[in-house]
Amino acid sequence: MGRGENMGYLTQPGGRQKKQQFHLDVDVEPLFIRFLRTFKEILKFVLFSYTVLFGALLLARWTTYFMNPSVLGQQVQRNTLTVLRDPGGTSRFLRSDPPEPSRVSTAPVRGLIRPSEPLIMAGTGDGSSDVQWCFSQVKGAIDDEVAEADVISTVEFNHSGELLATGDKGGRVVIFQQEPESKNQPQCRGEYNVYSTFQSHEPEFDYLKSLEIEEKINKIRWLPQKNAAQFLLSTNDKTIKLWKISERDKRPEGYNLKEEDGRYRDFNTVTTLRVPVFMPMDLMVEASPRRVFANAHTYHINSISVNSDCETYLSADDLRINLWNLEINDRSFNIVDIKPANMEELTEVITAAEFHPNQCNTFVYSSSKGTIRLCDMRAAALCDQHTKLFEEPEDPNNRSFFSEIISSISDVKFSHSGRYMMTRDYLSVKVWDLNMETRPVETYQVHDYLRSKLCSLYENDCIFDKFECCWNGNDSVVMTGSYNNFFRMFDRGYRQDVTLEASRENSKPRSVLKPRKVSTGGKRKKDEISVDCLDFNKKILHTAWHPLDNIIAVATTNNLYIFQEKLN
Amino acid sequence: MLGRGVKRKWSCLEELEVETLPAAAAEKEKNEVEEEEQKDEDGLLASPSKSDMSHLQQRQRVLGLCLEKLQRYQAGVELSLRRSVLLINTLRQIQEDMQSDGVGTCAPEVLLNGVHSDSCILREDMPVTCPGCAEGDGGNLSPPLSPESSSQEATSSPDQQKSLPAATINAFSDAVNAMGYLSDLALDDIFEDIDTSMYETSDLPSAWASSSLWPVSVSLWADEDVKMRPPGHASAGGLQSCLMDLNELDHIMEILVKS
Repeated sequence: MGRGENMGYLTQPGGRQKKQQFHLDVDVEPLFIRFLRTFKEILKFVLFSYTVLFGALLLARWTTYFMNPSVLGQQVQRNTLTVLRDPGGTSRFLRSDPPEPSRVSTAPVRGLIRPSEPLIMAGTGDGSSDVQWCFSQVKGAIDDEVAEADVISTVEFNHSGELLATGDKGGRVVIFQQEPESKNQPQCRGEYNVYSTFQSHEPEFDYLKSLEIEEKINKIRWLPQKNAAQFLLSTNDKTIKLWKISERDKRPEGYNLKEEDGRYRDFNTVTTLRVPVFMPMDLMVEASPRRVFANAHTYHINSISVNSDCETYLSADDLRINLWNLEINDRSFNIVDIKPANMEELTEVITAAEFHPNQCNTFVYSSSKGTIRLCDMRAAALCDQHTKLFEEPEDPNNRSFFSEIISSISDVKFSHSGRYMMTRDYLSVKVWDLNMETRPVETYQVHDYLRSKLCSLYENDCIFDKFECCWNGNDSVVMTGSYNNFFRMFDRGYRQDVTLEASRENSKPRSVLKPRKVSTGGKRKKDEISVDCLDFNKKILHTAWHPLDNIIAVATTNNLYIFQEKLN
Repeated sequence: MLGRGVKRKWSCLEELEVETLPAAAAEKEKNEVEEEEQKDEDGLLASPSKSDMSHLQQRQRVLGLCLEKLQRYQAGVELSLRRSVLLINTLRQIQEDMQSDGVGTCAPEVLLNGVHSDSCILREDMPVTCPGCAEGDGGNLSPPLSPESSSQEATSSPDQQKSLPAATINAFSDAVNAMGYLSDLALDDIFEDIDTSMYETSDLPSAWASSSLWPVSVSLWADEDVKMRPPGHASAGGLQSCLMDLNELDHIMEILVKS
């Protein structure tokens, strides 16, 4: 059998007729040509198999890509995620630049929760605090005469931090919006400018009891954003309102029967028809009340809190807590009632309440006796029986006639993680772990130098002041206000605290705030202020921290100060 | 006791405090207070009796302030429930403190002074220096000054120490009950019209007992329950008749309102 014969069979196995033809051709052709033909066939086969392989790989790749859509996204956010979840981390977050090397000798004492990397900004003077705060803006009247209606009574950032709402004693709500970061100053975060102002509540008169109902806004709470409009709840002593804030930047023009100013045209003059079109207009922000939740509270409302399910919210007054559905304004459930049958036996009132940030069935409420009760709505319809009771035993050394008054809790706030909660009583801030009821895990003294002055503070009623407190975005720093326009920040990780002042004197743009100190002993150092010189009429009761950034809003009597972290 | 809207003289209170608190300055300046407390602290270090005195002084002061705050009622100003509850609890604490102290070694004159200071606070028409306050020791007191003193005299000296706490406790319980988060405003208004003018006589005890309670309980708590409480009973026999009339009137009014 010749080589040609075999080749014919191999290359064309099916073709018998062709084989004969080929047999003749093959005999005549030179060897090289035969080799090329074979090679061509082999190449075809190879090409075919590679195509199949490539196609299979592409198919596999696409399949995995669609199954894990955030695969790409996770890569980008890894830095922020780790920092946000690190409870002892510093307050630097959302940073893409790598952490800077730590300074060795001035490293501060670490607390129980050690941060993963010591992030100390290069250029910080003494290394004692990681963040330097500088003045950004101040809102409000400059003159010292404070109009009663301008006194700020609540401050709240929304969930993205873009909007900042303030409520005042005159029943007005002013919303500021952060400008987008400009390219000229990439280091400076946007300024807050007035976005919307509206009258939320009006003064009312209760004729049955001959009592005036103040229009002062006690609390504002934002709802998480679901569409283009923003929603917030604002409350005074008796009534809660749901406001919708929406933007309008187009309006229809070219009506056939109406003039531009709204007057109706005489239809005899209409000769042609046209289709109205939307034309751009100046941005207009409208606030409209969508729901009014009234007549559910006999006593004065002190707190509202939106549930994590975004469908319900609670409102708490001195003796009762009600659960509302955001859609239904004529009915509410009473979930806590501590009113005794005989009012003479009343010894305790509710001072604050809040829903857990993640668990929609859990909420806490604090009392005037210094206790916090955690309730689970799954346990019973009426949550009078608490699930957990958080109470610290009283220090017998510090017992005085004012012990109960100063132990009254004025504010309770959950951490963003939901693991901790913070309470503010008159002299201290306490951080509680929700798993431990016996005592707080951290206690920070805000102004312990006032402990010896309690009698005179009782006299001028300052002992009844209700200070609020707030967490920063990653739960590493807590902030609260004090007297003389001082406010204090406590870094939980580094166990450091700083006292800063909100005053017009420090109001130069981007001027760094100098830490203040109150001298307690006899010897007063330079730049320290003695306890007797504190102005107890200048108090900072309301503070708020941007949820994602190091921007804080601090409310003095009638001014709103905005401070930012110093950026290099 | 004068009705609503009449200002109380601050100077009366200050001068009384000068009388009753020999070691303390009468001014309310913070500096003064600080100095006083420093003195008190020195006193604490020096001798235990001084610490008792400073404790008692502070207690009296707090008591006076407490009652003053509870009584501070001007048109349109209402105490929040939280503040009222805290003040009442403080008052109760002082009451318990006095109770435990009263049966102890505490000199009765301090209690008397305490009692006098608060009854002096409550009454507008007290002379600037009440003779009872000037008394140093727990001796005889001029009769018409206070219900407690008259009750003390009535019950006579051997049980002086025990009766004093009882009287003061009654006084406190009256105040506490008055704060009773109870009355409806409308009812109180009706009663104010009827009662106080009749009983605002030289008969000071009843004036103290009745009228001191009425203005305070007005509009402090908006409570839908309607409960009438008669004003507190002083144990002194001399007051009984006046108060019985008052109670009958209350009872009658209660029936009228409820029907």
